[in-house]
Amino acid sequence: MKTVVKLIKGMVIIIVMFFFIFPIYWLIMTAFKKSEEWFTWPPSFIPSSLTMGNFLGLEGGFFGSVTTAISTITPYLRNSIVVALLVALLSTLIAALAAYAISRFKWGGMGFVSWIISIRMLPPIASAIPLYVIFSRLHLINSWWALVLSHLIFTTPFSTWILITFFNDIPRELDEAAYVDGAGTWQSFRSIILPLSAPGLAAVSTLSFIQSWGEFMMALVLTTNDKAQTLPIYLGRFITGWRIAWGPLAAAGIVTMAPVILFSFIMLRYLIRGLTFGAVKG
Amino acid sequence: MQTIIQRRKRIAFLMVLPLLALFIGLTIYPFAYMIYISFHDYSLVSFEPPQFIGFQNYQNIYSDLTARSSVSFTVFLLAMAVPIEIFLGLGIAFLIRDVFGERVFRGLLLIPMMIPPVVAGIAWKMLYNYEFGPVNYFLSLIGYSKVSWLGNHIFSRLGVVMIDVWQWTPFVFLVLYAGLRSIPQEIVEAGYVDGASGWNAIRHIEIPLIKPLIWVVLIIRSIDALKLFDIVYMVTFGGPGSSTHSYSFYIYKAGVSFGWDIGYASALSILLLLVIALLTNFLIRFLRLKEVLEL
Repeated sequence: MKTVVKLIKGMVIIIVMFFFIFPIYWLIMTAFKKSEEWFTWPPSFIPSSLTMGNFLGLEGGFFGSVTTAISTITPYLRNSIVVALLVALLSTLIAALAAYAISRFKWGGMGFVSWIISIRMLPPIASAIPLYVIFSRLHLINSWWALVLSHLIFTTPFSTWILITFFNDIPRELDEAAYVDGAGTWQSFRSIILPLSAPGLAAVSTLSFIQSWGEFMMALVLTTNDKAQTLPIYLGRFITGWRIAWGPLAAAGIVTMAPVILFSFIMLRYLIRGLTFGAVKG
Repeated sequence: MQTIIQRRKRIAFLMVLPLLALFIGLTIYPFAYMIYISFHDYSLVSFEPPQFIGFQNYQNIYSDLTARSSVSFTVFLLAMAVPIEIFLGLGIAFLIRDVFGERVFRGLLLIPMMIPPVVAGIAWKMLYNYEFGPVNYFLSLIGYSKVSWLGNHIFSRLGVVMIDVWQWTPFVFLVLYAGLRSIPQEIVEAGYVDGASGWNAIRHIEIPLIKPLIWVVLIIRSIDALKLFDIVYMVTFGGPGSSTHSYSFYIYKAGVSFGWDIGYASALSILLLLVIALLTNFLIRFLRLKEVLEL
């Protein structure tokens, strides 16, 4: 009886894992498939030969398909890196300052903290519409700054939240000791709190980077060409034709998701803490 | 003494200032503008200044068939995807704990929720391909004929629900799994002593203990479902017809992509904001902020 239960449990786990992993497997396989295996029936689950051609832009397509996709990726990659790095830096800086004031001085109390959560929950489209009008007047449309500023709307609340929990874990006696030694607020923040919460700062900057890197809607509304458009927009542009060259598109998809997967495995604990607003410590 | 406290308060204010400036400049001001413009006729293609028209934009929503269809799809998504995600996520949490290799499973389950939705969209658009897609292939293996996932009104809606389930069940799982882990072992063991076993222990001891957490994920997932956009844009582009226009996708179309009708899009956005504000209010009550943040 026990073995039967175990067997059923094992089978259910295999089916569940298959459902969640297969789409990723398919994406990765397609990126390494030669063009003749993009469209076959039955689908080729284990490609007969693998190629790097989709990444290098060598793999030929077919008549009418968008084949050169990957070869024009460079400006988008550059924009994505610049925007995500700026967002990570600014977001962490702004959040760390605010989180310190909230953690140590209870600045704004419950009301302010609730406000931070509300901003985190805002629908991006509701910000995108008025920001489009405002940024056009400021001539910011299609610039890196339009993206950096709009991404900060959702990364700073997230980072502030995580950092408050980090700062709370640092014993207050350390601050007090510093005050006794004659250090000011600013000094104790810089030389005690910041170094002690280095893992937290690393976590929030990485998570901000990831969020900015994958963000789609703001980039779609606020940018117009490869001067500022990011990788997700690049991917979105090549999926609208009806003859899609899946190989290069899947390859570009892998380039887009690789850093995200890498970073999120490292930051899993803090990720859960931030996503649930501390309802789970992770 | 008084001066030191005052000085510290001033420094605290200076430290919050950048965040405040950001929020005021990028949310309060735009939203004030949005409320103002939602009472105006303002199109970006006409080059005419905004015309005050009172509640006209809001009245138009009521008679706009596409808006109605997008509301119905969004409600469909809320009613279908969110409950499935909660039950499935909870089920997987119980299924996987204490199984050999649970850390590996947990790590793998992280992938769907972490990868950029645009990339997930590419993967699923390939899977849903009518002629060559693996989903139709699996269906043919169990004796079903091919399904037009992107061309049929019902199936395209179900298709989006399936992607949402795929993407967000892992989130529900991760949170509830962490919640289960944090239940003190003594409580469950005490239940065993009192005669509760297996299923009963789960139903009467563990689930009640993580109930607040289930509420939190339920509300977060509901808010996120109302904001669905990326997947729709990538996989169905709202089609066929307007059957998979999510509410956000319709606002996008009305406001920037096709209509350029900023006044109308603003009115639509404000309705969405009101619903989300209400849900966020519930969320904040469930979070026990005072405890978590030691305020």
